[in-house]
Amino acid sequence: MDNQRCGSFEYSTPLVYLGLKLISKLFHKKYQIAVTLVIGGVLLALWKPFVLIEGLQVAGLYAAIALPMALILGIVGIINLAHGDFMMLGAYLAYRFTVYTGADPLVAIFPVSLGLFLIGMATYRGTIKYMHGAPELIQLLLTFGIAIILQQLANLLWTSHPVSIHVGYASASATIGSFTFGTYGFVYVAAAILVFIGLFLFLRRTRIGQAALATGQNPIGAKLVGINIDRIYLLIFSISIALVGAMSVLFLTRHSIFPHVGGIFTLKSFCLAAMAGLGNLTGILWASLILGLAESFVKSFMGYAGWADIIFFLLIIVVIMVGSYRRRVT
Amino acid sequence: MKGKSVILIYVACTLILLVGFGGWAIAQRAPAGEPIKLGAVLPLADITGAQAAKAMRLAVKEINLKGGVLGRPLEVIVMDDEMKPATGATALDRLATVDKVDVFIGGMASGVHLGQIPTLKKHAKVTVWIGAASHKCEEAVGPDIDWYFHIHPWDYLQGESYREGWTAINKKYPHVKIDNWFVAYEEGAFGTASYKMSLDLYKDWIKIKGESFKSALLGGGDYRAVLRHAKEANPDVFLWLGYEADAMGFAVQAKEIGYVPPLFIGSPPGWPPGFGKSPLSEAVTLYGMWAPAIKEVSDVSKHFWEAYIKEYKEEPITYFCPLGYANVYVVTEAIKRAGTIEKAALISALKKTEYKSPMGEIITFSPSKIIKNQGIRKQKIIQYQGGEQQVIWPFEFATATLKYPFPSWERR
Repeated sequence: MDNQRCGSFEYSTPLVYLGLKLISKLFHKKYQIAVTLVIGGVLLALWKPFVLIEGLQVAGLYAAIALPMALILGIVGIINLAHGDFMMLGAYLAYRFTVYTGADPLVAIFPVSLGLFLIGMATYRGTIKYMHGAPELIQLLLTFGIAIILQQLANLLWTSHPVSIHVGYASASATIGSFTFGTYGFVYVAAAILVFIGLFLFLRRTRIGQAALATGQNPIGAKLVGINIDRIYLLIFSISIALVGAMSVLFLTRHSIFPHVGGIFTLKSFCLAAMAGLGNLTGILWASLILGLAESFVKSFMGYAGWADIIFFLLIIVVIMVGSYRRRVT
Repeated sequence: MKGKSVILIYVACTLILLVGFGGWAIAQRAPAGEPIKLGAVLPLADITGAQAAKAMRLAVKEINLKGGVLGRPLEVIVMDDEMKPATGATALDRLATVDKVDVFIGGMASGVHLGQIPTLKKHAKVTVWIGAASHKCEEAVGPDIDWYFHIHPWDYLQGESYREGWTAINKKYPHVKIDNWFVAYEEGAFGTASYKMSLDLYKDWIKIKGESFKSALLGGGDYRAVLRHAKEANPDVFLWLGYEADAMGFAVQAKEIGYVPPLFIGSPPGWPPGFGKSPLSEAVTLYGMWAPAIKEVSDVSKHFWEAYIKEYKEEPITYFCPLGYANVYVVTEAIKRAGTIEKAALISALKKTEYKSPMGEIITFSPSKIIKNQGIRKQKIIQYQGGEQQVIWPFEFATATLKYPFPSWERR
């Protein structure tokens, strides 16, 4: 009996210790955002479950589109203002592919990604390559010019008339009690997680990925140790455009497309990248989650939908200002 | 042998004479002299403007093949307004001073037209306009101008027309309830102005609750929140006012959240080409001036439909296409009646217009709230059935009866 008690005491002490350690860890600065989000998520799920579900889905869409931009920004060091327009181009290619072959649009993921990879290569070789070291304003103007060219090309080739493809699974839904919600939107969440894990593994576990990280951190140092940084830039830029291409196919299954459809996603991706910290892939996930949930929360109140964009950009301004203040203090 | 040669010579001479006479006859019918010039200003990068321009050229081709107007060829010069008021106004200046057109025809967007009205007043040429629904344009034209003819119904005329249409449908089919409406309107100028006008116009008729949304065209595209609010309000009629980029999204997301209103109406300026092919389009109601199905009840519409497809190997998509075609005929017939392109005579002839249009109705001009010469006043209530747009009201152009209530999303 004593032994048992003793044993139970012996077992319970480390458990209590671990529990306390976990709680204290959770209150650590590093996990504050995660804890806040989890608590907020649970409360939301109880109060307005659709806000949580739709917010997650919107966050997934934002993150999946913004991650490739963050990759270019972090390693190539270019703000690609044509980011959303490459997505528009991919969506149109997927649309034409689907109409021409009669196949499911998702089949277009592979040919469109490959096509966009090649277009990305051509864009880098033809323009971006010569802009390294140029003032940021010139780089911005260059990618802005590419965006306008892509939009006008789409306008000439496919007109400004919006087009869409209806696939039955894009409106799939589930019902829990009296609450019905769409399930297809979780594809964007899965896509964001896949892209994130894929990029993480590529950058950490492969030699090229590590070389790319080194190039992003210190291009001169990377060059000195024998890394061909031009090839790294070419590869990273092309991979990012290919990822946007893959994402464009998923986008097409649920959205109308037209020549200017990508503009807002360039803006939002850039804002997410700025909020997360330039090139911070993990930060993109958190930033998307916060903004997606905030947007859905605001919209859930009747008559306040117009505030969603204000809240979106207000949050970004607050985060950037707080970050800037912290840097100055430290 | 000799006899055969004589016969051959005889046949050859007959053929030569026939060909020669035929050529002479064609030459006699071909219009000659200085062309009568019509000047149109349309957004050519937009498919609506591009198709309207094509339809105008088709009408000009048909008229020239029949000998032109007053023995002179007809010509249409189309300029691009790029959807910008300043560009639209400059285009009118150029048409008046460089191309020296005789009549202004065109254009499309209200915003552009508002910027063009001072230029129109400067040149004071006979103008027959197919587009611009905003009553602000009517106010800008003013009551004193006799050379301005407007074919498209003003926004308040459209509103009155819908009221007339739904009242008639409700009278004919009393089980169709139309007392409580939920209006989802895009947050831009178009949606907000239309919603406010509806509140004012229908205050003594129906109860309206509404909420704005961000159109996909302006970076939005998530309609689930506004659809959930509509579902909670449980109205008799759900109406969304937005653009064609929103059409598929509304249907998909309504299905997603399980929202099935008794009447599901969309009111964009045009519909995406593939929308009818989707099973989600079944029983979606819409407003418009024309639907391809009108060709089943109107000969002019049938002729226009077939001629357009034969000429351009594409189907007309928006109602601006038959409107552009109709406008050229309205002006041409007036010139024929006047026997001249002299301004006063032409205005007088235009006032007597009675043109059976491809939209179904006969176009005539009479004063509206402000301007002296307003053309079409009625809209149509249309419904997607079996993948096609069918006219429900006015009953004289009806090609189908209203499918009511809206079927569940699953049973399609």
